[in-house]
Amino acid sequence: MQFLTDSHIDFMKYRKVFIWVSILLLVVACAELFFLTGLNLGIDFAGGTQLTLRLRDSGSPEELRRTFENAGMREAQIQRYGDGDSEFLIKTPVVGGSEEGSGTAMIDALNADFNSDAAGRLDLNQRGADAVASLLYEADPDSRVGVDEVAARTEYATVAAAVLERRKTLTIFNSWDQLDNVEGLSDAALTTLKDKAFFGAFHVLQNENVGPQIGSELRTKGVLAVVLSFFGMLLYIWFRFELRFGIGALVAVVHDFMITLGLFALLNFEFNLSTIAAFLTLVGYSVNDSVVIFDRVRENMRRFKRRPLLEVINLSLNQTLSRTILTSGTTLLVLISLFTLGGEVIRGFAFVLMIGVVIGTYSSIFVASPFALAWEKYFGRETRAQRKEKA
Amino acid sequence: MDRSLISRLIVILVVVVAASVWAYPPKDKIKLGLDLRGGMHMVLQVETDDAIRAETDNVMNGLQRDLEEADIIDAVVERSGDSSFEVTGVPADRDNFIEDDLLDRYYVGWTMRRLGDRLQIELSDQEAKNIRELAVNQARETIRNRVDAFGVAEPIIHREGLGSDRIVVQLPGVDDPDRIRNLIKNTAFLEFRLTKANTSAFASEQQALDAIRGADESQHEVMREDLRDENQVIVGQQFWAVEKRRVITGRDLKTARLTNGDFNEPEVGFYLTSEGGKKFGDVTANSIGRGLAIVLDGTVISAPVIRARITDQGVIQGQYTVQQVQDLVTVLRSGALPAGLTNLEERSVGPTLGRDSILKGQKAGMIGFALVIVTMLVVYKLSGLIAVLALMLNVVLVFGVLSMFNATLTLPGIAGIVLTIGMAVDANVLIFERIREELRSGRTVKSAVVAGFGKALSSIVDANATTMIAAIFLFMFGTGPIRGFAVTLSVGILASLFTAVFVGRWVFDFQTSRRSRIDKLSI
Repeated sequence: MQFLTDSHIDFMKYRKVFIWVSILLLVVACAELFFLTGLNLGIDFAGGTQLTLRLRDSGSPEELRRTFENAGMREAQIQRYGDGDSEFLIKTPVVGGSEEGSGTAMIDALNADFNSDAAGRLDLNQRGADAVASLLYEADPDSRVGVDEVAARTEYATVAAAVLERRKTLTIFNSWDQLDNVEGLSDAALTTLKDKAFFGAFHVLQNENVGPQIGSELRTKGVLAVVLSFFGMLLYIWFRFELRFGIGALVAVVHDFMITLGLFALLNFEFNLSTIAAFLTLVGYSVNDSVVIFDRVRENMRRFKRRPLLEVINLSLNQTLSRTILTSGTTLLVLISLFTLGGEVIRGFAFVLMIGVVIGTYSSIFVASPFALAWEKYFGRETRAQRKEKA
Repeated sequence: MDRSLISRLIVILVVVVAASVWAYPPKDKIKLGLDLRGGMHMVLQVETDDAIRAETDNVMNGLQRDLEEADIIDAVVERSGDSSFEVTGVPADRDNFIEDDLLDRYYVGWTMRRLGDRLQIELSDQEAKNIRELAVNQARETIRNRVDAFGVAEPIIHREGLGSDRIVVQLPGVDDPDRIRNLIKNTAFLEFRLTKANTSAFASEQQALDAIRGADESQHEVMREDLRDENQVIVGQQFWAVEKRRVITGRDLKTARLTNGDFNEPEVGFYLTSEGGKKFGDVTANSIGRGLAIVLDGTVISAPVIRARITDQGVIQGQYTVQQVQDLVTVLRSGALPAGLTNLEERSVGPTLGRDSILKGQKAGMIGFALVIVTMLVVYKLSGLIAVLALMLNVVLVFGVLSMFNATLTLPGIAGIVLTIGMAVDANVLIFERIREELRSGRTVKSAVVAGFGKALSSIVDANATTMIAAIFLFMFGTGPIRGFAVTLSVGILASLFTAVFVGRWVFDFQTSRRSRIDKLSI
């Protein structure tokens, strides 16, 4: 299938319209970022504690909110996580400059509220294999300790590991039937567990704390990485091409970056470490797109020395158009697949790149090249020479 | 086939076979990051000020004793800062003795100055730096010992950088982060102190404070003891008035182990070094009938009454489970941390979440891959197959290189691989479009292929270089999982250069070499 071969679209004709469209989008993005809601910084950059929970039974955010409010954690934000109504994400900000965060306090509050019937029993949905092994060893349901202490220790450790492996596949236990056929778990041992252990109401999938110190360091590093990569791109294009193209590509990439960032803020996605990775990739991708076009412009400039730059750019844009669309298309395809199927953590990441690819493709045609042209017009060597001639 | 074709084929085969061997089976060969396999990541800051204060304490205690022995009986030693203290009541003619015979000989790094009737003694900056450095290294070793005793597979424990006061701890597969955190952060500062003569436990802090008010105030302080029921739940508190002086500390311990008490309840048995035993023996012999508070990290564990002189061993009893006693033994054996630790960052991920992420990443990758394949076949027909082959090789190469360099695959890393699938076709697209153009301009197939590759190359290099620049900055400034992304992205780009330019070229050349004239190319 061949498409868009030998196209003769006059991209440059409407460049002023598109420049205004871009400026408008940029203004909206900046207004959103600096004056309206702004970025929703995740704990990576803002600092704070974030718990991802799986509840044994389904629950509601309101229920959890009550627990944390009762424990004095009014600022806890609670949202659903993943699909279904049993996973939740709870975020608390840094309190009083404390580095250590409130993870333990949050888990304590949950335990006090949801597991008040614990009565000293071991929580099979929270504790690890060692704790289970220790419990079995002390109770010794299979009467092994009297025979051989060391062997008994290893045997109970193996059983405990098998129980935990079962939990790993289920994520959370909610009935004793789920412990059927666990390798090595005798009926006596199961009875011991039923007696001395219970299924807590929640399981902590993830517990993250970033203190304010690390948060501000990550912020600095993030900004530095973005700014330096801009400069790296500028230098590379300057070195490989000419300054006017470098400026054109840089303007395009800043344009893509800001508009995507604005949209990201508008839709209230969380800005975290993997988002930074996505934005840096976007920078690379956006420049990549402009560079392929500039490469063609350079080639055509050599071939058609007498043609004005505007015509050369138009020709080059047409020649590279099918490549531009095809590459953006395949990249978009995998990004859509990541966005829809890749899971919660990847979603924000894929979103940035999806928007970035669309805007990057647009800007490489309607922003980067016109800018190179405008630079030529106002600062270019030829114009200066022409001015001299006139004088 | 001509020679160039054969030798290039050999290069391709060698690379592909090597990558496959390295990467297969991926389950065993590819190291997964903590976000995928579950585990714990911590950045701990060593509060080195603690170590400085402890050193000052030691020197103050030592000097006080030395002054007493030298019959400078009026001397009073008082702290004036973290790393300085003052001595009053020293006759000026003894200054030289203190400076030359005590400080220079036994307390290296401490300098003395006379300010009127006081001697100001300060720790030199150089020595303070040494102590801090030592404290961080010692903390790292202590943490390593504790983690080793706990039995975590493949732990990573290292200083964040040269001269940094931070320690990074990574423990894959940990399923009880709470316990590990307590084990690592437990300063395990064990001390034995006598309770104030003729006092026992007080019900409230105020009563205890009242008891030490007056003449003894500077020699005593109040410490808390938590009372627990049989399920370890704290049910109340009581307070003790104890001497500030420490009889012995954890440093005097030779070893500790789990023992069983009279009712088979777990206890910590400890053995003292010979020097510690002598100190302990002297004090206990003189203090029969008084309480001996066993203090761990500033909280009284228990305060049994001394019944007889104790020299080289003893037990610590408390309301403990076997696991708690084991952990206590572990921390006592690994020695006290030289300073407190602050948890600057902690991320613990359960194994379920990681497994879920892998499955979802795989699914997204496969579907994305399939979509790209279909697109390439539709657009470029048979030549699209070359792109598909290049993509498949690309994935194999990425895994091979990851395994070869022992790089860690993280969740963003998976996204990076999926993304490179989309981006790697770019090189193929550039080449194919160029070949099409050359064909349209009337060239023969063979020369169109040569010209297409030649002209596309500069675009390919430029385009990939910019993405590489971004990846390099990501690697430089990124942490953990993000670095994994930078790695897979850059490896993917390099691999796509090889597969599209080198392998793709080979296939075209092979096609056009079989017949001297080929007039149609499926593209």
